[in-house]
Amino acid sequence: MPVAMSVAEGALPSREVDVAIIGGGVNGTGVARDLALRGLRVCVFERNDLAFGASGNSSGMIHGGVRYLSQSPHVTESSCRDSGYIQSIAPHLLFRMPFLMPIKAGLKGRIAIELIDAYFKAYDDYQPLKHGQPHCRLDASDLARLEPGLVGAIVGGITFDEWGIDGARLCTLNALDAIEHGGEVFTHTTVERVVRAPEGAEGGRYVVEARDVSTQERIAVRAHVVVNATGAWSPVTASLGGLPQARVRVRPGKGIHVVLDRRLTNYGILSEAIDGRQIFLEPWQNVSILGTTDDDYYGDLDDVRATSEEVRYLVQGVARVFPSVRQARAIGTYAGVRPTLYAYGKNEDALSREHEIVDHAADGSPGVYSMIGGKLASYRLFSQELSDLVAPKDFDVSAPCSTHTRPLPGGESVPDALALAERAGITPVASRRLVYRHGQRALQILERAARRPSEKDMTCACEPVLEAEVRHVVKHELARDVHDVARRTRLGYGACGGMRCAARCGQIVAEERGLPPHEGFEMARSFVERQAATRIVAMGPEQARQEALSLAHLQASLGVEP
Amino acid sequence: MSGTVVVVGAGVAGASAALVAVRAGARVVVIDGGTGASTLWTGGIDAGAPPSEDARDAADALGVVLGEAMVVATSGFVRRVRGRDAALLDLSIAAERGEVGVVRCDRPGWDADGVARAAGGGMVALDANVLRHTDERVLPDADFAERHDDFERLGWLAERLRHAVTRSHRELKALLLPPSLGVEHARAAELTRLVGLPCGEATGLPGGPAGLRYERARDRLFAAEGIEVVVARAERATATSRGWRVTTDTQPIEGDALVLCAGGLVGGGLAYQPSEALPGAALPPTARPSFRCTVDVPVRLGAHGAPLDVPGSLFGVAPESVAWPLARDPLMQRVGILCDAEGRAGPRLYAAGELVADAPRTWLAALESGALAGIAAAADAVKGRPERPSSVAEAPASRP
Repeated sequence: MPVAMSVAEGALPSREVDVAIIGGGVNGTGVARDLALRGLRVCVFERNDLAFGASGNSSGMIHGGVRYLSQSPHVTESSCRDSGYIQSIAPHLLFRMPFLMPIKAGLKGRIAIELIDAYFKAYDDYQPLKHGQPHCRLDASDLARLEPGLVGAIVGGITFDEWGIDGARLCTLNALDAIEHGGEVFTHTTVERVVRAPEGAEGGRYVVEARDVSTQERIAVRAHVVVNATGAWSPVTASLGGLPQARVRVRPGKGIHVVLDRRLTNYGILSEAIDGRQIFLEPWQNVSILGTTDDDYYGDLDDVRATSEEVRYLVQGVARVFPSVRQARAIGTYAGVRPTLYAYGKNEDALSREHEIVDHAADGSPGVYSMIGGKLASYRLFSQELSDLVAPKDFDVSAPCSTHTRPLPGGESVPDALALAERAGITPVASRRLVYRHGQRALQILERAARRPSEKDMTCACEPVLEAEVRHVVKHELARDVHDVARRTRLGYGACGGMRCAARCGQIVAEERGLPPHEGFEMARSFVERQAATRIVAMGPEQARQEALSLAHLQASLGVEP
Repeated sequence: MSGTVVVVGAGVAGASAALVAVRAGARVVVIDGGTGASTLWTGGIDAGAPPSEDARDAADALGVVLGEAMVVATSGFVRRVRGRDAALLDLSIAAERGEVGVVRCDRPGWDADGVARAAGGGMVALDANVLRHTDERVLPDADFAERHDDFERLGWLAERLRHAVTRSHRELKALLLPPSLGVEHARAAELTRLVGLPCGEATGLPGGPAGLRYERARDRLFAAEGIEVVVARAERATATSRGWRVTTDTQPIEGDALVLCAGGLVGGGLAYQPSEALPGAALPPTARPSFRCTVDVPVRLGAHGAPLDVPGSLFGVAPESVAWPLARDPLMQRVGILCDAEGRAGPRLYAAGELVADAPRTWLAALESGALAGIAAAADAVKGRPERPSSVAEAPASRP
C-alpha cells in the first residue's frame, strides 16, 4: 500500500529539505552527515535523544568482526577497514582495548588453543587495516602475570586487539557535523505521520509531521526523500507512513550490560555463560562493563531495563574465570534493543548482524527507504551505502562519499591533554577526559572557562565534568535535560550515580535554557531516579545500605519525599 | 538489677526512650553501636504528627526546634519542615521586606549564586570573606563548623558579616551561611545577636555538622540524666526469668525490659540479605526472608502489618520488586519488627524508630515512638513483675 493520505495544498509547510531522516541513532545521524557533506539539505527527527536506543547502549566497541571470519571474510575485511577510517576521522574518540581469551586446561583446551591460534593468525592479516597489533599466544604463567584475577585450570590464552568507542559521542558528532553542513536536527521530537504532498505541487514529495514531546510544538517539513533509520522502532515508524510493517521486520534482541565502578582488568576478558554463550568483562573508559545478553524483546522500546535475573546470568558467567567480579561494586546497568534482521526459527545469537536497505518504491512510495539491521561498527559503511543509492538516484548528485576522509567535529587534531591542563589550570584527569570527548573542541570549552573562571568548577567529580562542558553541550550539542547531558559527557554515570552532580547539572541546564529553577530540580530528580532504577537490579546485600544512604542524600539536597 | 531498662541504639529513638524511661524512675543502660541514621541527619524534619508532651521534652533536650519552618538546602531547594536543627535558618520567620543574603564562601559544595538563583527570587549572593585560614577552603563541613565553636572566631565572623551587609547597600532581612555554625552547640542564635540580623545555615548533606550537634547534645543529655552508656555492638538478646540478657561484643548486659532502637537499613539495625549472598552465588539449601535484624532477638519481621513471607521465586527476591524507587510503597521502606501501637514486640520487649515495621522513616516519628516505648518499658521494669516471657517463643526467630 502506498503512502495514501495527502494534505491539502494550502496546508503545505514552508520548511523544505531534500531528505528527512527519522531516527537519531548512529545510522540516522551517519546518513545525515554523509548526505549533508554531499551538499543535500537534511533534517533528522529523534523521538527521544540522540543515541537513546541501541547506539548509546552498546558494548562500546568498533570491532573488526572476528566472528564473521570463517563464513564471510569480506565482512571482516570491510569491518576492519572501516574501523581504520573511524580512527582517522575521530582519533580522540577511540581507545585501544586488547582482549584476552583464556582457554581452560584439559585435552579439549589443548586442541582448542591450536585452533584458536590458527584462526587469529588469519585475523592478523586484517589488523593493519585498523592499526591493531597481531594476536599473541600466552601460556598460563603469562596469563597469571597479566591478569592475576584469572583463576581455574587455564592452559593459556590468546590476545587480540579491538577498539573501544563512546557510541553516544559518535552519534552526537555525526549530528553536529550534519548541522554544521546546513542540516537540522530535532531531538525530543516524535514523527506523528508521513503523508504524500498533492500531485503536481512544487517541491518535496512527502510531508513529515512531527511534535516536540516537551513543548508540544508542531513541526512539519517537506522532503523529497524520507529515510527510516529507527532501529528496533522501524516497523512502528513504517506504519506512521502507511507502509506495511512486514516489509521492515526486525527481530528486536535485548542486550544488557552491568557497569562496575572501576577498571578491574587491563584486558577485556572473554568467558562463557552457563548456556555456552560468549560474554565478556571489559575495561571501558573509566569503568568496567559486563556484557551482554541477547534475548527476544517484546516490551516497551522507550523503557528498556535490565532485570536482576539478567544481571545474575552475566555475573555468574564471568565469575567462572574472574571470581572477584562478585565483590565488585555495580554502579548501574543499561539495556538496549538490537535491530536484528528478522528470521524465524533461529536462536538469537545465530541471527545476522548484517544490514539491509529497503526501497519502498516497491510499496508504491518512491523515495522512502528503511535502514534495517546493522551494528555500531558498520554505521559509516551502511550510511555510505544508503547515500550512494539516494544521492544519484533521487537528486542526480554525483558527489562521492567523504565521511571516511573528513574528520568529525573535534577530530581534526588531538591536543596534548597534559599541556592543556597546565595552561588552563585544571586537573590533568579532567583535561584528559575532556580531550577524549571533544578532541580539538576541548580548546573552545576551555576558552569559555578562561573567560569565566567559575566555569572551571567540577560539576561531576566522578567522571569528571567541568561546568563549562555542561554549558557547552547544552548550548552546542542539543542537550535539553540532565539525561541528555549525561549521554554526552557521562556526567552522573560514575560511582555516585548522579547523587552529587545531578542537582547542580539541572540548575545549569535550566539556567542555560532560561527555564525556572524548579524545572532543573525536576530534571535532576528524574535522572537520579532512573539511575537508581538501573542500579537496583545489580544490588547485593552490601549495597542495600548504601542505596538507603543515597536516598537520604537525595532527600537532603532536593527535598524529595522518600 | 531491679528496674533496669536496656536500650539498644543511641539514635533519636534510643535517646528519646532512654530519657523518658529515666525520668519515669527506671535505671537505663544504652548500648551505643556507633554512627547511624541520626548522626547522618541533615537538620530538617520532613514529616510526622505533632509530638506528645514527653517527646517534646526530648526534642528540647536534643536541641531541636519543633514547629513549621522553611529551610534551604545547599542545592538551593527550599522546603517546608516540621522541625529543624537550631542552627538552620528559618526563612518563614524573617521579615516581610528585604532579601536574604546568601554568603559567598569558596568551599566545595557551596555555590551562593546558585542557591540564590535556584531559590527563585528573594535572595541575593553576598560577598564576605568568611574564611580565615587557607585550609578552610577544603576542610570537611564538620571540621569547618567546629571552628565556630570558638567564641573569638565567632566574633570575627560576625564582624565580617556586618561589614559585608554594610558594603552591600541592600536591605537584607537574614543571612544564609553554609553548614558551618558550630558542632558543640548550634551557634546561630549567638551569631544572630552579634550581627543584628537573623543568621543560620542551609541544610547540608549527610555527615555534616547537624548530625554531630545531635551526637553532642545527646551525650550531654545522657550525662546529665545519669543514663549509662556502653559502647558496644549488641549481638543477641535472650529472655531470662527476670527480663532480658543482651550479649554484646564486649560484655553481657542484663535488664528488666528491653527497647530495640537499632535503626533501619541506614542505622544498621536491619540488614537486607537476599537468598543468594551475592549475585551469581549458589542457592542456599532453604529459603528465608530477605531481611533480618542485626541483633539476634526473638521477634517477627514484617511489613504492611503482616509477617514477612519467604520468597517463592527460585532466585529469592528480585531487588526491583522490593526496592525503591520503582515500587510506590517499597518493602525496603516498610519492613521492620511487628509491634503493637505502644511499640511492644513481646513481653518486656519494645521496638522504636526505623526498626518498627511500617514506621515513617523520619526524626519526629522516631522521637515519638521512642518516647512511647520508653514509658512502657519503664513501667514494666519498675513494676518488676517476675513474669517469664513465654509467648515470644512462638514467634519465629529471624536468624542469619
